[in-house]
Amino acid sequence: MKTRARLPRLVATGATLALGLSLAACGGGNGGASSDDGKIHVLVYGDASNKVEQRIVDTFNKTSDVKAVLDTIPGADYQQKLQTIINTPQAPDVFFNWGGGSIKPFVKGDLLLPLDDFIKKNPDLKEKFLPSVFDSAVVDGKPYGVPMRGTQPVLLFHNKKVLEEAGVQPPKTWDELLDAVGKLKDEGVTPIALGGGDVWPTQMWFQYLYDRIAGPELFAKAVGGDKSAWESADSKKALDMIKELVDAGAFGKNYDSVKYTNGGSVQLVASGKAGFELMGSWYYSQQLTDHQEFAEKDLGYTAFPSVEGGKGDPANVAGNTNNYYSVMKKTKHPEAVAEFLKLMYSDEFVKAQLDIGNLPTTTNTDKFIDGSGTPEYSRFQYDLVADAPSFQLSWDQAYPQKASSDLHKAVQQFFNGQLDTDGFVKAMQALPTE
Amino acid sequence: MTTQITSARPAAGPRKESRRRPPASSATTVGRPGFAWALPAALFFALFAIVPLIMVAVLSFMSWDGISPPEFVGTDNWSRLVDDPVMLKSIWLTLLLTVLGVVLQTPLSILLGVWAAGHQRNRAVLSVIYFIPLLLSATAVSVLWRALLDPNFGIPADATWLFGDGNLFGEQATAIGVLAFVSTWQFTPFHTLIYQGAARAIPPVLYQAAEIDGAGRYRQFFHITLPQLRTSMITSMILMIVGGLTTFETVLILTQGGPGTDTTISAYYMYDKAFKSFDYGTGSAIALALVVASTIISLIVVRVSGYDKMRSSAEGVS
Repeated sequence: MKTRARLPRLVATGATLALGLSLAACGGGNGGASSDDGKIHVLVYGDASNKVEQRIVDTFNKTSDVKAVLDTIPGADYQQKLQTIINTPQAPDVFFNWGGGSIKPFVKGDLLLPLDDFIKKNPDLKEKFLPSVFDSAVVDGKPYGVPMRGTQPVLLFHNKKVLEEAGVQPPKTWDELLDAVGKLKDEGVTPIALGGGDVWPTQMWFQYLYDRIAGPELFAKAVGGDKSAWESADSKKALDMIKELVDAGAFGKNYDSVKYTNGGSVQLVASGKAGFELMGSWYYSQQLTDHQEFAEKDLGYTAFPSVEGGKGDPANVAGNTNNYYSVMKKTKHPEAVAEFLKLMYSDEFVKAQLDIGNLPTTTNTDKFIDGSGTPEYSRFQYDLVADAPSFQLSWDQAYPQKASSDLHKAVQQFFNGQLDTDGFVKAMQALPTE
Repeated sequence: MTTQITSARPAAGPRKESRRRPPASSATTVGRPGFAWALPAALFFALFAIVPLIMVAVLSFMSWDGISPPEFVGTDNWSRLVDDPVMLKSIWLTLLLTVLGVVLQTPLSILLGVWAAGHQRNRAVLSVIYFIPLLLSATAVSVLWRALLDPNFGIPADATWLFGDGNLFGEQATAIGVLAFVSTWQFTPFHTLIYQGAARAIPPVLYQAAEIDGAGRYRQFFHITLPQLRTSMITSMILMIVGGLTTFETVLILTQGGPGTDTTISAYYMYDKAFKSFDYGTGSAIALALVVASTIISLIVVRVSGYDKMRSSAEGVS
């Protein structure tokens, strides 16, 4: 009797459970582009800049019938999580990205809306932005993103006091930099702080040297799939110069154990234990947060030095050109999205970004700089980017995301001597370009 | 895996035990739990362990970037892995770290555990202090040590005679050393706890008899305590091995598999392929290889240690 009575109960339990689970699975399908809830979802990288994004969304919602909702993914997991939801019903209508290679797989997967039609109806969506910046979100000749937030050129920062004590001027040329390295070493300080533990700061040296020596064409060729670019004489010359700098002891011996992200290299410069650091323009606000007194008094900055005989224009810049809003093809409200994107060159947007230390790349930024918190620094950056004939997107952003891990490994291994020139060339040639 | 084996054992367990308890099938048993009670757990296990495992197995024969539709590529992922020097290196590194963990933690936790089982003064207070590392999450521990070992502002800066230029994370040998040290620091308290419990369970009468026979403290330790800890030792070592094979967070935070690929253990390599390079096919193949390897190692350990035929430790006493 007992065993027979048990069976129906077992089945019932199983059925209830299965039902519950499948219901729970359905519940997750709401929101996002494919199930129309009459709203547009804007997905952004979750950090301190979100307050501006929220403000812009609020402004938009005051006049629009289709309301916008701001969704955030916190911190460093953004790219991974975006990749996970991009092809699901949870995908947003509009999302934050780094242009270039970061959206290339989505373009290839036919997920993104080319913005040609938007721009045809409203040419300002293109013309109100600096061309070198706007072009970074162009994939296969079509624009896929509108700049938002600010530009982040990489600059050569220095500790004024340390340089002064060593009798060194901020270098304008590569030779002056090598000279400064020698003098700083004699003073017993690490000439250049480098957070090699994070690897991407190491990559910045490659980006700039390749650009100065070979011009932007070489990397464009390489990332476009022509792998012979890495074997060229210019490529090898750049590698030789990097090697020369490392061997001269410019970065000390323990750079791979130092991190930028835990404040290690930042503190090296602030405490006077190092002279220079090559870092994105966010470095200024980082120092201001971590070492306010130093940042206000002794933090200097210059553009990356020129390289004699190099084919690249010394005015070229490398770094993160900007962040972009891209639009999903399956959005139900393209008109509303087009309206929303217009706000990215509005006066309100520019002022709000400047207030939190970002430098927007719209053509009207100019007139608001002098009223910003750090006018001199903002002006320097803005002129640098506005006058740059080319803006080299960070290598790991220009390459498709799947290449970045191997790219980082190659950069680190060449720097610390685990790979020689040929090994590095081979590693770069093995990277997937699409 | 090991828990299943232990829980399945009592049915065929020591005779003495079974004599005391009536056989499970006896009609006198009241309210014996029916199979339905296991159903929710079994369902969840199937849903969150078996089904994903099968999906991973299928994925390992496909090429998938998470966006485009997956493509069947046969054994491509597998044959590439076989020729991949990083994969081979990662297996050696995983085994090395596992062995290092066992070799470092076992003696240390036995000594600490036996000591903590005694009645010395301040013992309780000190035991609590030793226990603290285990309460911290692996992530917190890793972040903490990464900061403490910073070459310019951490311990190495003040102890240059020991650390030289402090390039601990920039060289393979020292990076591995740091990883082994940090997991030892974190997990020794746990194993100490196991040994403390086991040492307390040793009947004092054994020591009293030994003392009468004139055995000193060292003899007592080697001839009574250690043999009596044998079963706990196997339990603890299996946990260490399983933990060592699945180490991940410490590598992710402390070294990110670097410098280069010098600390890329298999679990990290899987993460690197699947979630950083968006090559889910290869990632799945590595994951599956890890599952197979862990299973084999667990089985070997169980067989070699005699864990499967183990008798109750109470048996040798009374």
